[in-house]
Amino acid sequence: MTFFAPFTIPFIIGTIFLFAAVATKFVLWLVRLPRVDKRLIRHNLFTWHTLAAVWEVVRESLLHVRIFKVNPVLGFMHASLAFGWFLLIVVGWIETVAYLGAQWVPLQGHVFFKYFMPINGITHHEPLFEQLMDALLLVVLTGVALAWMKRLRSRFMGMRRTTKHILFDRVALSALWFIFPARLIAESLTAALYGGEGFLTGSLGHALAETVPHDLLVMFYEPSWWVYSSLLGIFFVAMPFSRYMHILAEIPLIFLRHWKLHPTAERKSYDRFEVEACSRCGICIDPCQLQSELGINDVQSVYFLRDRRYNMLNLKVANNCLMCGRCEAKCPVGINLNTLRLNSRAKRRNIPYEGRYKYLRGLDRSSGEGRVGYFAGCMTSLTPATQHSMEQIFKAVGEDVWFADRDGGVCCGRPLMLTGETDAARKMVAYNTDLFRRHNITTLVTSCPICLRVFREHYRLDGIEVLHHSEYIDRLITEGRLSVAADARRYTYHDPCELGRGCGIYDAPRRVIAAVGEVVEPKHSRRDALCCGSSLANTVIDDSQQLRLGERMTAELEATGCDTIVTSCPLCMKAINRAARCSVEDISEVVAKNILRS
Amino acid sequence: MRNINFGYGISRPRAIDIDNNDLRKSNAIIAEMPELQACIGCGSCTASCTAGNLTEFNFRRLHTAVRRGEYKGAYEDINKCMLCGKCRLVCPRGINTRALIMLIKRKLGDF
Repeated sequence: MTFFAPFTIPFIIGTIFLFAAVATKFVLWLVRLPRVDKRLIRHNLFTWHTLAAVWEVVRESLLHVRIFKVNPVLGFMHASLAFGWFLLIVVGWIETVAYLGAQWVPLQGHVFFKYFMPINGITHHEPLFEQLMDALLLVVLTGVALAWMKRLRSRFMGMRRTTKHILFDRVALSALWFIFPARLIAESLTAALYGGEGFLTGSLGHALAETVPHDLLVMFYEPSWWVYSSLLGIFFVAMPFSRYMHILAEIPLIFLRHWKLHPTAERKSYDRFEVEACSRCGICIDPCQLQSELGINDVQSVYFLRDRRYNMLNLKVANNCLMCGRCEAKCPVGINLNTLRLNSRAKRRNIPYEGRYKYLRGLDRSSGEGRVGYFAGCMTSLTPATQHSMEQIFKAVGEDVWFADRDGGVCCGRPLMLTGETDAARKMVAYNTDLFRRHNITTLVTSCPICLRVFREHYRLDGIEVLHHSEYIDRLITEGRLSVAADARRYTYHDPCELGRGCGIYDAPRRVIAAVGEVVEPKHSRRDALCCGSSLANTVIDDSQQLRLGERMTAELEATGCDTIVTSCPLCMKAINRAARCSVEDISEVVAKNILRS
Repeated sequence: MRNINFGYGISRPRAIDIDNNDLRKSNAIIAEMPELQACIGCGSCTASCTAGNLTEFNFRRLHTAVRRGEYKGAYEDINKCMLCGKCRLVCPRGINTRALIMLIKRKLGDF
């Protein structure tokens, strides 16, 4: 049996190129992984983690379950293209086996089986497979139609905006759009000339045979297969350099993630898997407040990852991000967008200066004695009411407290990390860790979510429990150590980014407020909460832009008709205070005002 | 009176001849962040400064000197800053002080 025709050459070249390019990429990235990561892979390779990864590959790379959850229409589009195409390949494989039995058939023989059937003299039909293949083709074509619609008007697909693409993407995208229509035409022409029973290609073929003159059909027959094969070839060649690399990059990424690899403050080749697993679907664009409120259109995660991938990232794009994590929460691939952005900043800014922070040596301005340490944080010193309320609460429960920074402390280091100066931040981490250890505290309470996050993620504080003050107060109330009077006020709680999406603390503050009054939820809350705009992570937007973000977000909080807006971050508090008409209080103030004295 | 800490002090009087100073870096800084010219020199940044509370670091003095082309010791001094960002919150002119600090470091330092 022959399985070669000149028109298959573009397809064969494309396929060989694709496999070579992708294999080179994966091997290089894996070889360049740091030793720790390689050890992790060896350690976890033959465990149930691998099985879990296989299951996730099916769910995410083929079915796209997470996109379904964010946007069902978009989910259907991705699933019909990915899973539909996958099944076309698999069922196509089985189809050839059904016709020819178990014999070796080269790749192009499977892909262009309909073409090779007549030349090999196969005239009988397997109706089950022909119908099945047509049904699958229809599913994929629906996905393509939806993709066209998305390009024309993204609102049809429930998206305000879709991604702007670069040239390579446009080439690959155009090829992908026309692959399946071309396949439909080629198979229909074949059916018109040689017969076919599929409900789609077969019927279309019969209609063509009746309406179009026979010699015209013969004239277009070979070219139609050339077009189909060329489009496949073009797509495969463009694929490793375009967004469609995500189809292949996501698979090893899922495995590596299950083997416990993750991006760090330093760049490493693992990041390449994450960067190239971005499909540029553009789901991250809509949640970005820089886009929706300020009309900044070129800094969102999708563009950041694109710029980083093609080495055209500039500082302004890397720095123009609030790191609120709203996009990360929505990303269907689960890319660690904030970490990647941070290590991009670090690469550009992290030049340690030896003499830096010498003044920290021997410094200790702390006061008080106690097993519980209170680290107010730099920002909290600008909201003295918070600090004062915490002191009242400590006094009411009779807690002995060691105050780490009442008379001026040292920054936690997170602001430096956010600007990419990770090495400089390490000096602060070392200083504060040493300070906490020296005073033998067992619990560390902080009023600043920014500090909280760095204490939990970057400090080694084994034996010291780190709590946000909302968690601490919640514990005091549930343990019965602190009793509060209920009042008749309605409170809206604003979730600070670093506390909510950053540390996953949503319920403790709500329980505390519920003990005092009624909690009313704003439109966006919890994982979906808006950013106040004052984030330390963004050093590009100016004051008026920060104010605009704060105003929009505060307006949404006030729309609940609350009496008081409550938050638990000094930075958010400052931002809301600038824009709010109603009263704004820190969670500790709400509690301190309502302490019942026994 | 002498022992009361107001958070600021009085600088010794001195004469500065701007004509003799090399203003190229200073001009480059102002060109990149024109909002610095809105500074009224109130010193809120210095009064709220975390590093200024622990050392002699004085951000108002520093950026005023840099604008005048007096760069000596400025890079070493600005590295005392911990970038905590309080100065940005208190600035009555809404100057993006953290970006300014990073800019001065970039222009004066070796990177």
